[in-house]
Amino acid sequence: MVILKKLGQLAVTVILVTLFASLLLELLPGDPVEVLIPSGSDEQRADLREELQLDQSFAVRYSTWLGNFAQGDLGNYYTVSSDRPVSDRLWDSLPVSLLLMFYAQVLALLIAIPVGVITAYRKGTWFDRMSNTSAFAMLAIPNFALGFVLQYYLGVKLGWFKTSGYAAPSDSFVEHMQFMILPTITLAVGQVAIYMRLLRTDMIATLQQDFILMAKAKGLKSKRILFRHALRPSSLTLLTVAGLNVGTLIGGALIVEVVFALPGMGLMLFEAIGKRQIVAFQSMVAVIAILYILVNFAVDLLYTVLDPRIRHAHKS
Amino acid sequence: MKSSSPDRKRWSFVVGGLLMLSLVAAACGGSGSGSERGGGSGEGESGAGKPTPGGKVTYALEAENSEGWCLPESQLAIAGIQVARAVYDTLTAPNEDAEYVPYLAKSLTSNPEFTEWTVTLREGVKFHDGSALDSTVVKNNLDAFRGTYPARSPLLFRFVFQNIKDVTVVDPLTLTITTSTPWASMPAALFGSGRIGIMAQAQLDDPDTCDTKLIGTGPFKLVSWTQNEGFLAAKNPDYWQKDADGVQLPYLDEIEFKPVVEASARINGLLADDVNAMHVSGGEQIDDLRSATEEGKINSFESDKFAEVSFGQFNTSTEPFNSRTARLAAIKSVDMETFNQTRNLGVLKNANGPYAPGGIGHVKDTGYPTYDLKGAKDLVAQYKRETGKDLEFTLIGTPDAPTGASMALVQQMGQKAGIKVNIQTLEQAALVSTAISGDFQAMVFRNYPGGDPDAQYNWWKTGSPVNFAKFSDPKIDSLLDEGRATADKDERQQIYGDINKQFGAEGYSLWLQWVMWDIGTATDVYGIVGPDLPDDGGAPFPGLATGHPVLGMWVKS
Repeated sequence: MVILKKLGQLAVTVILVTLFASLLLELLPGDPVEVLIPSGSDEQRADLREELQLDQSFAVRYSTWLGNFAQGDLGNYYTVSSDRPVSDRLWDSLPVSLLLMFYAQVLALLIAIPVGVITAYRKGTWFDRMSNTSAFAMLAIPNFALGFVLQYYLGVKLGWFKTSGYAAPSDSFVEHMQFMILPTITLAVGQVAIYMRLLRTDMIATLQQDFILMAKAKGLKSKRILFRHALRPSSLTLLTVAGLNVGTLIGGALIVEVVFALPGMGLMLFEAIGKRQIVAFQSMVAVIAILYILVNFAVDLLYTVLDPRIRHAHKS
Repeated sequence: MKSSSPDRKRWSFVVGGLLMLSLVAAACGGSGSGSERGGGSGEGESGAGKPTPGGKVTYALEAENSEGWCLPESQLAIAGIQVARAVYDTLTAPNEDAEYVPYLAKSLTSNPEFTEWTVTLREGVKFHDGSALDSTVVKNNLDAFRGTYPARSPLLFRFVFQNIKDVTVVDPLTLTITTSTPWASMPAALFGSGRIGIMAQAQLDDPDTCDTKLIGTGPFKLVSWTQNEGFLAAKNPDYWQKDADGVQLPYLDEIEFKPVVEASARINGLLADDVNAMHVSGGEQIDDLRSATEEGKINSFESDKFAEVSFGQFNTSTEPFNSRTARLAAIKSVDMETFNQTRNLGVLKNANGPYAPGGIGHVKDTGYPTYDLKGAKDLVAQYKRETGKDLEFTLIGTPDAPTGASMALVQQMGQKAGIKVNIQTLEQAALVSTAISGDFQAMVFRNYPGGDPDAQYNWWKTGSPVNFAKFSDPKIDSLLDEGRATADKDERQQIYGDINKQFGAEGYSLWLQWVMWDIGTATDVYGIVGPDLPDDGGAPFPGLATGHPVLGMWVKS
């Protein structure tokens, strides 16, 4: 029942998101055919417009796309010379973006969780103040600026990592990581600050709960209290935001992929918007929406693992 | 001639990316050579020694050519041309003096009237799929470019080649091209800025993958192309050219082109050894490359020979720039020296017309107005008297910060002269549509690569669909036809010089700077402009506005 409900929610969300995004693209000035043939004749443009079915109304084009998408057909790029299925490029670029977002999320959590816990525990100390100041600084740095700084100092000056491009993990995992580390750090930095601040706030509240006092009275070590007893109930907000943040990561990935020339979805999306590749854009947005919903569905499931009260509430 | 700064680059990116690639039939003209700077041990190209075969170059390009390389249907910008020049050969190619000499063709001769050209092909040249180069496939290619080959639907070159009446096969290695009117600069048109590569019959007839399955006769064969990731090509072992010492060309075993959109990322990639060649055209970036070269970190080859020009395009079909007074007022209001220093660090040279120094048509004094604040104010007043209106116009550019800064500078300068300049930003797709629709007053372009001046024929001819300025000037029309009909250099200089002066007198464009390109390479990479042209065709062409050959690139082992 839950799965059916989620599937229904997914379908509605995909329709709403793609419809809204497509309308936005439709409202922007710029004609896909004129972008394809800037210097052609009006007749050539008219022929191509008809061939690509761009002479039809938005409603017809959208419903055609939606019907095809529902059957697994992601459509073709608008081209003059050949058929280029969107799916070909999408399946190449999707893993790149997913890996980037996964690495960024893991790195952000790996740093944010211990720092958030410690700053909550040592509230008001120099470490807390320093961490908070650093968090604000990290939030204030734009992705692209940080990307270039890291590229220059860690890539050019120190030569530790690759500055641009990509290698698949299946080819060489070491090389893959050399390409991915700088984009990952760039994307993760802002998230670290958000997660750390959230966790710190929740942890401070949790540490004032009676069961923590009880644990302390029982003589449990601080480390055990913090990470075994306090962290779990303090993680719900963090988890919710981490799930919701997938959207932010996608937006960030767009910029990071351009800076580091990573052949991911961000670059594809950027190109699709710039060149008014409406079908490709719709398919990409739909795939992103599906991923987003799936991730947040997984987050919902994790709630029940983290908090027994939610599990019991579901059962009852 | 120097390139544009980041903003200039963005401005040109606007229409430049899509439109400048347009007609530009023949490329480049002028003289002289580019400036080579050696890094590493301090040795430049000349001190590198004998080329050694082998090795790989990873070349970062400013953009991905997402449209592919079905050449008659492509509208290649510089990144796409650069790749095309690795895979395809053109029938002709320019030499150091921008004379278009036979290349894939063995010879090219015309009748005295320049209405019939006989092309003789080299014998024994094979495409990458093993098929032979013959007159039939060349005819089919030319027909495809001009729109008479059923399998293809050409775009840009349909206009460029509309003067071709017929292409006829004479024998397996000979064909004739007949034109409607005399066309002395046919050899330049057949180069088409490196865009008229000859494709194999299989690619030409490929209905599904013509743009992705490249088959040429060029020095490198396509291995793989993953969009946004890289274009890998391997040495063509059967290539028809050898160097002066009899060494088989190309020297490299492999070349890989990687799109790296951000110029700073390309420079960082070169400095970090992640790529060993890249190109840039912005003033700031060129300045960075110069510093790195002086520090011995890289080699670089920069050239503003046979350059394109960046310029403000006035729409002469609508107010206010249907008025010559308004155009001249706007031109005189811009202090170009200050503009260039502020926006381009003074790396570039200010332009005075469409033809770059060294090329046919360039004249030192075109009569183009220089900065004159009082003169501008007087013209603004005159415009008011003539029309009853204040001089006001909207300048369109892309919505990035550097472009915004440049437009603000023009706005500020205009204000001093009493001109109200409104700034409008449009992202690239919208800007292209606006240019095509003609619904604009002024926007910034980059176009007109130096070389044979006849290449600009379609940009300026009355009624041409790509005459975006929409001017109709009988004098220019007539001169364009006269220039096309003669091969006499002095006569052509006079004719195109007159066109240049007419531009200056009428103020059809606000000329900004000549564009400089810089190829940065690792300190062990050489051979940017390539070897001398075959059959004593002359020293290689030093212009970089439409890429450069890669068959002579080599890595010092």
